[in-house]
Amino acid sequence: MADKEIALMAHLMRRAGFGASSSELHERTAVGYEATVEELLRPDRQKEVDMLDLLRYHPWAWKPGTAQGMGHASWTYRLLNTQTPLQEKTALFWHHVFATGVSKVDHWDEVMDMIDLFHDKGMGNFRDLLLDMAKNPAMIFWLDNNENHSHAVNENWGRELLELFSMGVGSYTEDDVRECSRAFTGWTITPKLPRYPMGRFDWGFEYKDDDHDHGEKSFLGHTGRFNGEDIIDIICEQPATARFIARHMYNFFVADEAQVPAWSVTPPRDPEAIRALSKALMDNDYEIRPALRLLFNSDFFKEARVSKMKSPAEVVIGTLRMAGGSEFPAPGLGMLSRQAGYMGQDLMNVPSVEGWHTGAEWINSGSLMRRTNFFAEVMGDTERPGVRAIVDGMRSKGDVPPGEFVDGCLNLMGPLEVDDRTRGQLVSHAAADGDLRWAPDEESESTERVSEMLQLIVSLKDYQFA
Amino acid sequence: MLTQVAAGRVYDYSHTVGGGQLEDNCPIALALGADDVVYVCCRGREDISEVPWNRTGADAKVCRIRVGAAAGDEELLGEFGKYGDGDGQFIWVAGAALDSAGNLYVTDEWMNRVSVFDPEGGFLTSWGSSGGGGGQFNRPSGAAMDADDNLLVVDSLNHRVQRLSKDGTFIAAWGSHGNGMGEMDSPWGITVDGEGYVYVADHKNHRIQKFTPDGEPVAVFGEFGDGRGQLRRPTDVAVDPDGDVYVCDWANNRVQTYAPDGMFIASLIGDAHELSKWQQNTVNANPDVAKARRRVYSTEPEWRFVMPTGVEFDGARGRLLVADPQRARIQIYQKVEGYLEPQFNL
Repeated sequence: MADKEIALMAHLMRRAGFGASSSELHERTAVGYEATVEELLRPDRQKEVDMLDLLRYHPWAWKPGTAQGMGHASWTYRLLNTQTPLQEKTALFWHHVFATGVSKVDHWDEVMDMIDLFHDKGMGNFRDLLLDMAKNPAMIFWLDNNENHSHAVNENWGRELLELFSMGVGSYTEDDVRECSRAFTGWTITPKLPRYPMGRFDWGFEYKDDDHDHGEKSFLGHTGRFNGEDIIDIICEQPATARFIARHMYNFFVADEAQVPAWSVTPPRDPEAIRALSKALMDNDYEIRPALRLLFNSDFFKEARVSKMKSPAEVVIGTLRMAGGSEFPAPGLGMLSRQAGYMGQDLMNVPSVEGWHTGAEWINSGSLMRRTNFFAEVMGDTERPGVRAIVDGMRSKGDVPPGEFVDGCLNLMGPLEVDDRTRGQLVSHAAADGDLRWAPDEESESTERVSEMLQLIVSLKDYQFA
Repeated sequence: MLTQVAAGRVYDYSHTVGGGQLEDNCPIALALGADDVVYVCCRGREDISEVPWNRTGADAKVCRIRVGAAAGDEELLGEFGKYGDGDGQFIWVAGAALDSAGNLYVTDEWMNRVSVFDPEGGFLTSWGSSGGGGGQFNRPSGAAMDADDNLLVVDSLNHRVQRLSKDGTFIAAWGSHGNGMGEMDSPWGITVDGEGYVYVADHKNHRIQKFTPDGEPVAVFGEFGDGRGQLRRPTDVAVDPDGDVYVCDWANNRVQTYAPDGMFIASLIGDAHELSKWQQNTVNANPDVAKARRRVYSTEPEWRFVMPTGVEFDGARGRLLVADPQRARIQIYQKVEGYLEPQFNL
């Protein structure tokens, strides 16, 4: 099997998932690239993660209230165990777009419900998703639409719907914001049973016709007695919406773009790719799956290797999946679930409705140290089955000189591509202890050497890129 | 309905014991002691902090509660244990049973051990280790005492039941992984009836299996589904002196009841229409909570079971106790004898 085919499959699995082991890459490459894309696009054909297994051991994860570790536990458990990685990646994508945070909502369970919605419908239709968001209790509370009344309009949801969830700055006027907001008056939430004395209860969407502004509205050149659904229909007719979502998809799956607030003044990195993705969205009535199919099969995707900084969630989950051993929801799952947050991406608790700044902004001296320390700790544990498999993979090569030792580890971990200078430094480090040998009296030390090499590799700048 | 009549049985909702020291603590299993004392196993939860995992849990413990005959009678007698791996501590407290002397045996499905306490909660000893051999465990969960004062422990991920003496000496085991008769898939709760038959909540096979005292399978209750008599991931089972069988139908949020011959009788879905004394104290102390409760369209969602995990029948008092962990309470039903139906067109 050609190395370049394996490398391309590794690229796909890093972007459309959270990476894959060497053996999985070989199996998938044998099946073929396009067939793998199709499989990833059809999660309904795979076995779902059994979330009841989590609740059996962590009952608190059902409605965690404000218990932070448990708040992340469900999603982390699913990410660690999923056999449908693109489905989870797409849920993560929409969480970046429809950024909603527990810091204000104050109910992890409500934000978890939103993530479940992304999980269930994230590869479906964007218009449907927008409508679901407009009715989502966490979103309504996050953007104050429960304060949006016929007699007192609150523009928060209406503005962000246009600015961050569909068209982007520059495609609408302040009057459009006002009229859009009027159309969503009366879209609110049912009063919730309080958290005391017996825990959390579900919130629900409620449309209050008597609190809706039934007057005429003028929105993006259209005039009528619009309600929220009409507004969403008009939004989806706009090419700006398709372009905006296409750019989000490019930024998340292909290559780092400028930060979202700069999109109105910074052209896309690859305008042709955005045009192609926009067209796929418009031609397919905003179905997401055809756009994803086009994206992953495109040359612009295949040529975009190592051009994207892994987000904390991607790199934490990817590393834990590579190392293995975290599939069972053991005590400590709460802490494990917090790791991405310590690196700057507190899932379900975005810093603002703008979402996270991505790319190089993931990295600062603190977050880089967090990454390095955590990954080194994980890969230093030779009891983990994934680490053990890499050690066994190296053992199966027999005694090897330092160059092959380094190349073997890089290959078994990805394959991971590093520049010549970095490789040279790794080889130089390995050479200090000579060849890697597997004689019985050297096996223990060699196992440690492999593990140490893995720790070095996950600490590299190169490992932070996908 | 607060009084449910079906197949010649009558179940009256009695009252709820919850909130207070059970609040935030996931009471997942019960054991009935003498003098109306109930031992309530509280799973607690993980909280977060930058400390090792064995210090991140909160509130794993056992509460001693006098349940009382009616709302307001409940009394907290004490509590013991805390999160940790030391003597008398729990990581994942799971099930409990009492011997004839009133000592309590508590399983810990992370530590793979059984901890033993005196009736007041003083730590006596612990035994058990990880593994698949006799006296070893892989996630021990439900526990029950047989007529000979030997402990039956559901060894969940070894998919078997073990019989052990009170000092942990292995006596016998039965069951293996599978879905045939006598086989099990991740079993959870267990009980022993008055004739010594053993009932096991065969969790992932969605059924209850009934065994002879020696472990021979003799009957099955339930099948997968959410319809009449069906089960989704049952967690615990109890049998009353009449032989009627009660099953925590976890993923269907209800308790299923069956006649001794397996005939389905009725579903109990939770009827806690009034707050318990401790819950009411919490509301009284938080005026905004009281206001928020008046703001909702209905408090009915509060009444219902959410993934119940523990069920015991108090034969002496003719009542059923259900651990309702997500709502931090025990719901209590009275099985009424000699009930006369009022005329239906009253």
